Amino acid sequence: MYYIFWGLLWVGVYLALILAPLVVLLVSPVPAGSGFWWDVSLALGFAGTAMMGTLFFQTARFRRASAPFGIDIIYYFHRQISLVAFTFILAHPLLLLTVEPSLWGFFRPAVAPWHLWAGAGSLLALCLLLVSSLYRKPLHINYDRWRVGHAVLATLSLGFAIAHIEGVGHYVDAPWKKMLWGLISLSWLLLLAYVRLIKPALLLRRPFRVTEVIAERGDAWTLQLAPEGHAGFSFQPGQFAWLTVWDSPFALKEHPFSFASSAEHPGALRFTIKALGDFTSRIKDVTVGQQVYVDGPYGSFSTDRQTADSYVFIAGGIGIVPIMGILRTLADRADRRPLLLIYAYHTWERLTFREELETLRVQLDLNLVFVLKEPPKGWQGEVGLISAELLARHLPQQHSDRQEYFICGPVAMIQFSEKLLNSLGVPLSKIHSELFDLV
Amino acid sequence: MRILLAKLLALLIGMLILALAVLFSLEQNL
Repeated sequence: MYYIFWGLLWVGVYLALILAPLVVLLVSPVPAGSGFWWDVSLALGFAGTAMMGTLFFQTARFRRASAPFGIDIIYYFHRQISLVAFTFILAHPLLLLTVEPSLWGFFRPAVAPWHLWAGAGSLLALCLLLVSSLYRKPLHINYDRWRVGHAVLATLSLGFAIAHIEGVGHYVDAPWKKMLWGLISLSWLLLLAYVRLIKPALLLRRPFRVTEVIAERGDAWTLQLAPEGHAGFSFQPGQFAWLTVWDSPFALKEHPFSFASSAEHPGALRFTIKALGDFTSRIKDVTVGQQVYVDGPYGSFSTDRQTADSYVFIAGGIGIVPIMGILRTLADRADRRPLLLIYAYHTWERLTFREELETLRVQLDLNLVFVLKEPPKGWQGEVGLISAELLARHLPQQHSDRQEYFICGPVAMIQFSEKLLNSLGVPLSKIHSELFDLV
Repeated sequence: MRILLAKLLALLIGMLILALAVLFSLEQNL
């Protein structure tokens, strides 16, 4: 109930923020109408800009605001709503140029006023933002470079859009409207300053030190960290944090990873990282004693938030990490509730945490089901991919309302597993997931 | 579930804003 109340409240705040500019348009003095499509176009331009401004709020990682939803889904929403905002902003000039083709004549350096170029610049930056975010991997854009580019393009796009609106002056010409728009714009810029300057400065004052680097099966490495000169922080099992390893927090080179360690030992944080990209492939080179920065905890993927009589976990590949954190925590708490883990991986040899899971099987009331894509000779267990038949074989025949399901892995696997569980009678409200690798 | 809700919320907000933009324009031009 607590999270539902706060979740609804924050959705309300978000709606108020994006609708505020439209309210500004509607309150008198309102200039005379300029034609139906012309005014629709203006309203969409204003609304699209407000949505763009609030995109900064979504990625500012306000812990209190993100707690009811889980910050992973806020990033997912950020991606979805930015497509809506882009559609509105693109519709703004397209509608104008369609109803008034003579406007094309303005697009000449000698004729066009500066605010028209600002509008075009905003749209161009937005197009680049969208393409680089949707197709980062096919375009082979390095993640760290993409993040810097994303921040620069987003700031440029919003800055140009504000300049365009102020320059045109239509609908915001009354002094109080001008001031209100100025305040709205200022709040976006202040937020940018908080995210890029204040937050990194706070992180810089709370460093962590690497105390151990452990090689794991499956080309994965575990970093163990201890807080240095401060008490660290507590977290819920299954949550995650952003790690900055080789740079200052100001460098924007941070990456999200789940806590693999028990929440009962916050003084020894563990992150298990699989070598998959530019950054993660270098994790093995981290040295003991190295200083790192941890921004967290975040996420709603936690058994601590879902009281139940039993839990079912489904992990794909390195998606095992947050689930491992949960299992280690439950073992530390001497939990005896029945647990089922279905863990899909490529090979037996590379199965991360294989040995420790066997130990946890004894410590906990844990039923382990390994699903291998390429099983070794003589393998008696499950083979292939997670399917409805496989789930039906291992899940309890009757779904209990006191059972909760946790899935972690690639987005496609989560969506597929959710559908399968739902088709087997598990309500969607009982299925919890953790998204990663969104960009 | 959350993925579905996030998509739905984005869609609903989009439709709400579109509806408000049309209403605003009708109000201005009728």
